[in-house]
Amino acid sequence: MITFDRVSKRYGRVTAVGELSLEIASGEIVVLAGPSGCGKTTSLTMINRLVEPSSGTISIDGRDTAGMDVNALRRSIGYVIQQVGLFPHQTVAENIATVPRLAGWNRRRIAARVEELLEMVGLPPVEYGRRLPAELSGGERQRVGVARALGADPEILLMDEPFGAIDPVVRVRLQNELLRLQKVLHKTIVFVTHDIDEAVRIGDRVALLSQGGVLEQYARPVELLAHPASPFVAQFLGEGRMVRRLALLRVRDAHLAEPNGSGLPAETVGADASLRDALDAVLRAESGRVTVRDADTVLGVIDSESIREASR
Amino acid sequence: MSIITYIVDNWGTLGPQAVTHIEIVAMSMAAAALIGLILGVFAARSERFSTLILGVTSTLLTVPSFALFGLLSIWVGLGNPPVIVGLVLYALLPVVRNTATGIRAVDPAVTDAARGMGMSPIQVLARVEMPLAAPAILGGLRQATVMVVAIATVGATVGADDLGQPILEALGRSSGTLAQVLAGVIPVALIGLTADLILAGVQRALSRGTAREAGG
Ligand SMILES: Nc1ncnc2c1ncn2[C@@H]1O[C@H](COP(=O)(O)OP(=O)(O)OP(=O)(O)O)[C@@H](O)[C@H]1O
Ligand SMILES: [Mg+2]
Repeated sequence: MITFDRVSKRYGRVTAVGELSLEIASGEIVVLAGPSGCGKTTSLTMINRLVEPSSGTISIDGRDTAGMDVNALRRSIGYVIQQVGLFPHQTVAENIATVPRLAGWNRRRIAARVEELLEMVGLPPVEYGRRLPAELSGGERQRVGVARALGADPEILLMDEPFGAIDPVVRVRLQNELLRLQKVLHKTIVFVTHDIDEAVRIGDRVALLSQGGVLEQYARPVELLAHPASPFVAQFLGEGRMVRRLALLRVRDAHLAEPNGSGLPAETVGADASLRDALDAVLRAESGRVTVRDADTVLGVIDSESIREASR
Repeated sequence: MSIITYIVDNWGTLGPQAVTHIEIVAMSMAAAALIGLILGVFAARSERFSTLILGVTSTLLTVPSFALFGLLSIWVGLGNPPVIVGLVLYALLPVVRNTATGIRAVDPAVTDAARGMGMSPIQVLARVEMPLAAPAILGGLRQATVMVVAIATVGATVGADDLGQPILEALGRSSGTLAQVLAGVIPVALIGLTADLILAGVQRALSRGTAREAGG
């Protein structure tokens, strides 16, 4: 668990982060979101002390980070920076080996770890290990950046707009890959973005900051979209938030109707589909009703009314 | 060809002079590289130090070489020593300037990543900044070496027994011939070219993953 206790960062008269208090539970992805210049990067880099707080304390599992050896602290925390920052003079394998090498692992263990990480991020080691960063696409570089951050298997991962410069299609793919990895790894991930759609897709919780590093709301995405705490939050969430929220809800969790006398609708939707997909199917269906299936089992029927109820 | 015949006939004296010439250049460049790298690292870190050191080293370059060697000979005596010290002073500017520029040109994202992964300042310098600045630094060393090979000839005026001697003798005698002058100039040019080619090769080898820097 990472705890911010009234943490501030001032640059002269400018307050980048003001009295931020926040608890980040172990094994969760917490997204720091907000407009440009609101103090996201500053808050993130105060965790690994690339930036030192002006006041307040940040502790990890109850231990104040200010008292720790700074390089040891950083080696225990994975860090993916805003512009990736791969070492251009080192191969992909050498880049990924950075922290294990600093930690003094032996050659064989490092090689095995590098291979494992490349597999994990979907880059075949034989093909990619010996390439230089200049010989990779933007998306591949981001993956290597993530693999490098995971080098010595840190409990905590800090990611500063890791998919910022990537086109939307690849971006969604990388987001999905991260979620898939997280299912296996259970890291504590602090993820910075100014893209609210990315925030609600990725985050177990979202901390929304406004100018000066003021915490506007800290909530689960479904809560945030349904009940914005302030006009600022509502405005940052943008248009159509209730519809977008449907994408975060599962058909499985809706109250489904029993199939009635007229039989099952021909159109079907999977139990693990989102309510957004279900709504789309409902709107397309002749009868306005769609059969919900979980593999071969019919769970029931969904219609616009049950979607509306489930979204409240 | 009378020049070639002259060189071959006089190889008994020219050979050792060429060796001395190379020794003087090698020693001054080794010292200049060491001092220049250290000064360059500090210049990259501090704008004020950079202004100071670049001002001093470029002022040194404006001092005429025979005057500088002459002044230094009062201090360290005649022969090779004043020449070596003088050449070190001349070589500093390109080395310091290119080292500082090379380090400053390293993408801050890359050094941030390095620090963020727990590298100490020395590790960031040795493992990230220096390798990335290497092509630029080599460019500075090349410029300095070519310059120093040529200026070393002036060292003959304070008694360095290098390839400046045949030139100096030829110019000082009414009977001096063009062949005598060229006997000094041609080996100097060959030494300069060879050194430049070798360093260019090293520079290319060190350019892995970094933008190729112009050397000359
Ligand atoms: N080293 C610094 N010196 C002075 N001001 C700074 C410094 N670093 C950041 N700031 C200021 O602090 C504020 C917060 O910066 P920060 O980088 O945390 O923003 P951000 O939310 O990450 O923005 P972005 O989305 O653009 O990356 C900004 O107003 C910025 O100008
Ligand atoms: Mg930022």
